[in-house]
Amino acid sequence: MRGTRHVLAAALASALAVGTYSGSVTAQGEQTQGISDTEIHIGAFGPFAGPVYLYGKLVMNGVEAVFDKANADGGVHGRKLVLVREDDNCKPEGSIAAVKKLAYDEKVFAIIGGACSNATLAAVPELEKAGIPMVINSAVADAITDPPKPNIFSTQLTSSIESRAQLNYALDQGAKKIALVRMTDAWAMARYNPLIEYAKEKGIEFVADVELQIDAPDATPQALKLKASGADAIVMVLYAKPGAVMIRDALKIGYNPIWVGQTAINDFAAFEKQVGIPDALKNFATISAVAFQPTDPEMKPWTDRLKSLFPNDELSTFNMNGIGSAQVLVEALKRAGKDLTRDKLLAALGSIKDFQTDVYAGSITCDAPRSHQCNQNPGWLALRDGKIVRIK
Amino acid sequence: MRALLGKKAFLVLLFGTLLLLPFGANKYYVFAANLVMLYIILALGLNLLIGFAGQLAFANAAMYGIGAYGTGLLMKHFALPYWLSAPAGVVIAMAAGTLLALPALRLSGIYLALTTLAFAQFTFWVMTHWTSVTFGAGGFVPPPIDFAPLPINQEQGIYYLSWVAALLLYIVAKNAMESPIGRAFVAIRDRDVAAQSLGVDLFRYKALAFAMSGFYAGVAGALYCGMLGFVGPESFDLLQMVMHKGAVVLGGMGSVLGAVIGGTLLTVILELVKEFKFSIEIAFGGLLMLFVLFQPTGLVVFVKRWLPGWEERLHHAEDDGAERAPVAADGESRPQTQAGD
Amino acid sequence: MEMFSYLLATGISTGALYALVALGIVVIYKATEVVNFAHGEMFMLGGFLAYTFHVMLGWPYVLSLILAVLAAFGLGILVDRIAFRPLMQRQSLVSVLLAMVGLSFVLKGVARHLWGGKGDYIPFPPLVSPEPIMFGGIMVMSQQLVVLGAAAVVMIVFALFFKLTRAGRFMQATADNPKAAKLVGLRIDRVYMYTFGVGSAVAAAAAVLMAPLTLLYPDIGFMLFIKGFAAAVLGGLTSIVGAVVGGFLIGIIEQLSAGYIHTSMQEVAAFIVIMVVMVLIPTGLFGRRGMRRV
Repeated sequence: MRGTRHVLAAALASALAVGTYSGSVTAQGEQTQGISDTEIHIGAFGPFAGPVYLYGKLVMNGVEAVFDKANADGGVHGRKLVLVREDDNCKPEGSIAAVKKLAYDEKVFAIIGGACSNATLAAVPELEKAGIPMVINSAVADAITDPPKPNIFSTQLTSSIESRAQLNYALDQGAKKIALVRMTDAWAMARYNPLIEYAKEKGIEFVADVELQIDAPDATPQALKLKASGADAIVMVLYAKPGAVMIRDALKIGYNPIWVGQTAINDFAAFEKQVGIPDALKNFATISAVAFQPTDPEMKPWTDRLKSLFPNDELSTFNMNGIGSAQVLVEALKRAGKDLTRDKLLAALGSIKDFQTDVYAGSITCDAPRSHQCNQNPGWLALRDGKIVRIK
Repeated sequence: MRALLGKKAFLVLLFGTLLLLPFGANKYYVFAANLVMLYIILALGLNLLIGFAGQLAFANAAMYGIGAYGTGLLMKHFALPYWLSAPAGVVIAMAAGTLLALPALRLSGIYLALTTLAFAQFTFWVMTHWTSVTFGAGGFVPPPIDFAPLPINQEQGIYYLSWVAALLLYIVAKNAMESPIGRAFVAIRDRDVAAQSLGVDLFRYKALAFAMSGFYAGVAGALYCGMLGFVGPESFDLLQMVMHKGAVVLGGMGSVLGAVIGGTLLTVILELVKEFKFSIEIAFGGLLMLFVLFQPTGLVVFVKRWLPGWEERLHHAEDDGAERAPVAADGESRPQTQAGD
Repeated sequence: MEMFSYLLATGISTGALYALVALGIVVIYKATEVVNFAHGEMFMLGGFLAYTFHVMLGWPYVLSLILAVLAAFGLGILVDRIAFRPLMQRQSLVSVLLAMVGLSFVLKGVARHLWGGKGDYIPFPPLVSPEPIMFGGIMVMSQQLVVLGAAAVVMIVFALFFKLTRAGRFMQATADNPKAAKLVGLRIDRVYMYTFGVGSAVAAAAAVLMAPLTLLYPDIGFMLFIKGFAAAVLGGLTSIVGAVVGGFLIGIIEQLSAGYIHTSMQEVAAFIVIMVVMVLIPTGLFGRRGMRRV
């Protein structure tokens, strides 16, 4: 009996006291934290579960594929890349905990990821305090990288870049009356505000501004309102599912204006299937951060590599976002040289210019210190003669 | 030896460790420890409502959110200092909690569960749609909190405030549940018609149970606001609710000490689940199921069996019949639409 | 007027979906007095299973439908075995509900693990031509007509099942008075088990019918559960007719409030209905009278 009690008490004490001590780190230590002669530890945070796991887990799988390739090619200056994943549950408390854990407990060298706009935004002060190099690959809120923070770069199109591009596209198509259909979550709000601002700047007033929920099984009221407004172009701040429902129900009432999508609908072929009505997308165009569709032959090597790592998965545009951002990071790590430090990595990241990845629509240019938003090139996809093509 | 293993020793050890932790541990552990204290407070409050008063409500995450939003928005809109806005936020959460006692007077069991669930979803909708006040789905950054003249920063200040709050609220809950209030709660839980005929003022005590749980959740919310420096709606969703329930079930329904154990373990398990890269959904869903099925009285009973000095004066009986069945076979306490036909 | 007829027509067709979900909730509630919190996940899994059989394995549509429904029947029995039967013996409603909430999260997580890597929203091929057609002066999706027709069939089969078959009458008897049912020798455990199976099977059938319109994703269940529950509550929770009427009403309320008040009402209308009905008329429109007031 007494033995059991001892064990229990010891277990309780140790459970509580676990890891309560950690040595102090010198500034020099922080510069090379997470690097050994054989490995570089890179952190990642984003949700593994919940409705937005696509922007976390799947993107990380893409990053893993790039690291796997780099390691198979002998690593970066002989060091293997190790990805340390943290689940942030898409919540502020999760992302702050994840950053603290990666920076002070796992002691990784740099971080790649940041899935949810709110969660990542909430972690920015912590990231700055830790001074850890960070490459954002999914969260779109402008405030994360604007104004620029010395250690935070983004390879994702930020929301204001996309919002402006969406509006400009509608205007270029000769739209006279423009309407807006949007979700109301954090992702959509990060786009909505710059969109309204830019419209004001351009002297445009949206003829209708309707809400559609991500889960809505139907969008008939929205379609009727948009039709009644007489809009000839509609800016969509929607994920693919509500987007498909929206277009389908508008077609049902015989309304097919110019639809302007953005990167959440960048898997054009999948979106065609989701809408499910032939020829429905003849007036639809969408921004794509990536230059290819997952089924394109150019993506074959990545499809194979992903399949070998995650046999259950199909290559998706989420994976491709991870691939693009990881290629930028690996390139910067290479350029930073054998005697790697955080400052050298940040310098290398900041000076990346016209770098071509296998996936992104445009080249990557980080114009530090002026701008840390390294991806400024929205690519456009549309249907021409029944084929998905890149336009402009 | 006995004294070393008793529950007093456990509490001293727990709160002692939490008190000293910031001096030795890295920032991640300090942050996790602060979360531990928040979940202790949340579990204490929810346990009063579910475990003691037997009111199966699903709005605890919403109360938590109302506390956080109330505190943060008062600071943001009216530039109130934290020491004013935090109590105000708590009062708002408590008021919302009390409001829920109204349907609870007429409804019980499943009806109450889903009405409060609808209320929670409605609260979430208000947080995302009342943009002019709540800043919408994008959340907001409350102004920094100044603890001057104390020589501590916001992180340390909130940490020790949480420590004090957790300890005080534990003592309040313990004393309240050992007083006539606790007996009235249990009477409501076990058979509320009988409780009424025995002279328990149902309205008063149900309202009190809801108000208290709103108060506890509000305090946790006010601390959350200061701890994160960011408030957004996504933290107060259904998974948050399941985690609160998980903490209560884990520790032991109807045990104040159980709530302390549950809140602590929940956070430890959450971090372990992340450590092993496992799905939080499966882990917490599964944990809730396993405990309800195999250890329905929670860990506290398990501990009591092995360690001396863990007796509580008022917890539910060791046999499982304690969570009185609204589905008892005699039909008397079946859900309400049933009776009378 | 055109707007009104479109809203009404769509309200009826989404209402049919909610009615089917509500039907499953009510069938289970009637017999067991428990709301299956994992009911939405039965729908979700039914849809993904049909997708696996039909799209991934290439099996014929009807076969996939039948297999998915059978599998969901099995899953329903699993819910009974895991979350209901062991806890019912302990007579604790709180525990039953908590176990079901837990189960619903586990099922969601498992689905995400199995099918979550296949893309964001998985399309399911419709049974009929995807083009909208003219019907009664307005355009509708032909799949919506299929759903409506199929929903009507399922509802009628159900009503007949309870009225005419032995199993149905057993379920009815057990629901009305479990003690008496036990006394006359009914094995109510078994009745409960089949009830869970039947309720889940309906959800799976609804999922296969609706998947072309709603698309499939692991989180689809909760939204449908809430809408279905709102419908069931409005109908009184114990009435099959009530579930059907409630489903159509919720569908129509949602559409009209979104069309005439504000599009954001579409999301929140169901929650408001639940709260209002619960507080003002807890027995719903068709529920049993004689409520015990406490």
